[in-house]
Amino acid sequence: MNKLKIPAVLVLAYLVLPLAVNGNDYVVSLIVAALTIGGIALAWSMLGNLGGMVSFGHAAFFGIGSYASALLTIKAGWPVLVSMLFAGLVAAASSIATMPALRLRGPYFALSILAYAEIFRIIATEWKGLTGGAAGILSIPRLPEIMGIDLGGKIGGYFVVVTLVIAMVGIYAVIRRSPQGLALKAMHDSEDATRVVGVNATMLKALMLVVSAFFAGLMGAFNAHYINFLEPDYAFSGSWTTLAIVAAIFGGYRTLWGPLIGALVVYLVDQLVFKAILPQGHQIILGALLGAMVLFSPTGLTPLIAKLTRLQRKETANAAH
Amino acid sequence: MLHINGLTVTFGGLVAVSDVTFDMREGEVLGLVGPNGAGKTTLFNAICGLARPGSGTVELMGKNLLSMPIHHRARAGIGRAFQVPQPMHELTVRENLTVAQRFGAGKVDKAKIEELLDVLKLGHKADMDAATSLALTEQKALEVGKALATEPKLLMLDEVLAGLETTGKRAFLDTLEEVRKRYRLSVMIVEHDIETITRMCPRVLVLNFGRLIADGSPDQVFNDPEVIRSYTGGEPA
Ligand SMILES: Nc1ncnc2c1ncn2[C@@H]1O[C@H](COP(=O)(O)OP(=O)(O)OP(=O)(O)O)[C@@H](O)[C@H]1O
Ligand SMILES: [Mg+2]
Repeated sequence: MNKLKIPAVLVLAYLVLPLAVNGNDYVVSLIVAALTIGGIALAWSMLGNLGGMVSFGHAAFFGIGSYASALLTIKAGWPVLVSMLFAGLVAAASSIATMPALRLRGPYFALSILAYAEIFRIIATEWKGLTGGAAGILSIPRLPEIMGIDLGGKIGGYFVVVTLVIAMVGIYAVIRRSPQGLALKAMHDSEDATRVVGVNATMLKALMLVVSAFFAGLMGAFNAHYINFLEPDYAFSGSWTTLAIVAAIFGGYRTLWGPLIGALVVYLVDQLVFKAILPQGHQIILGALLGAMVLFSPTGLTPLIAKLTRLQRKETANAAH
Repeated sequence: MLHINGLTVTFGGLVAVSDVTFDMREGEVLGLVGPNGAGKTTLFNAICGLARPGSGTVELMGKNLLSMPIHHRARAGIGRAFQVPQPMHELTVRENLTVAQRFGAGKVDKAKIEELLDVLKLGHKADMDAATSLALTEQKALEVGKALATEPKLLMLDEVLAGLETTGKRAFLDTLEEVRKRYRLSVMIVEHDIETITRMCPRVLVLNFGRLIADGSPDQVFNDPEVIRSYTGGEPA
């Protein structure tokens, strides 16, 4: 069953979905946006689930990744894909500046990292010589053409983002199973027991922050080359963080696929259904749904589905007797 | 190998460990006894880093432990089994040992993990959730296993035999004796049962109200009038 899961996801991601929606640019761009948010949600969940840290400031890493990649391609003439990877590293490096905040717990960490996001946004606005200030950057280079596929187009962008997020899930799976990931998981409820066997929790949390910032930055870089323009209020917008948090919590931030599934469901349903019903203030429905989810299945959608299918299977098994 | 000098730990006004001084030789098996609240667990905590002493020194094989953060002390050779078993939550039994080995011993050695599972008779539970699926004896065995996985020089056992019935206790004692020899450990063990202590430990320390009131062979110590008084509930002289 689990062996089939990965090929099934790949066939769905690379064959079924593109064939189903190709030509419908509107739907493709919605899915790309959903997966972009899903990528941030995954990055956020890595820190939240393993590091036990709630961040309100992932827009900072997203924004830094966007700007770094845009500037590397425009000012230094680097190839887009190389710049994107390097932009992830720049975002990761920038997370080191936020590390003093790691000493803080719970809401204090969440708030202080929000302050960092604001600082980075202000820098992007004020450092006009580099970033173009509030006017932003136009004509950011498109994604390239590779083996006859134009990655700069709508469906090309889809292939890039889906590859990025699937790779992220793969890396996340490896981290979760590594001794480092296990130690971080154990820290939640067994801090003393984990520390006396030699685990340096602060260091591991800092590492998770770096990894998480890298991936958020990578998503920012992708987005910059996908939409081809940037301005500080957009790149550092708090909604990159809030949408990702909603998606992660809705989908189940402690699960592997939850954040991605959450992002797809939340964003697509919001844009395609709620927006049609309630053009103004459709986010309210989303808020209410999230509230209901937290009440009825605090661990999110993915664990809920798993529970329901298990129940169903049991019933079918019982019926067979 | 272990030198403790003038160690004092206070909680507010309470002196839980009071000016304790003793040495321990390599390969020694040291019993630590004393009435409830005497400071035995606190002494262990001070050695492994979970309690911060107000004064005194702790040296393990020439290294000053008190200047090290907790996570360095496991690498320095301290292995600790808790009085109340503390499995690492959300991890399986094998994962508990793996994490302890990776961080406490600084290596990944799957064969050694299997060996520990085997010696501690945890093989059949290796892939089960450590926090929810172990019987008491197994929880105690995992407690010892986590400490052993860090490849300690000094194994500190805090009442790992308490609560086990007679046969379970005897079997577990044999297991402890086996691992002690196999891994050439020095052992410090807290245990209330005098018969067990007498069998296991050539040397016994007695704590009362945080103070070290006796240090000698089980015979000497358990016939010491002050020790007898401390157990019958008297205030220290
Ligand atoms: N974290 C703490 N904060 C405040 N007081 C503490 C703390 N830990 C221990 N104590 C107190 O220190 C004293 C020594 O406690 P400790 O747990 O070391 O005794 P013990 O000898 O291990 O007892 P037992 O045989 O019951 O396990 C007790 O009075 C206890 O209440
Ligand atoms: Mg105790």
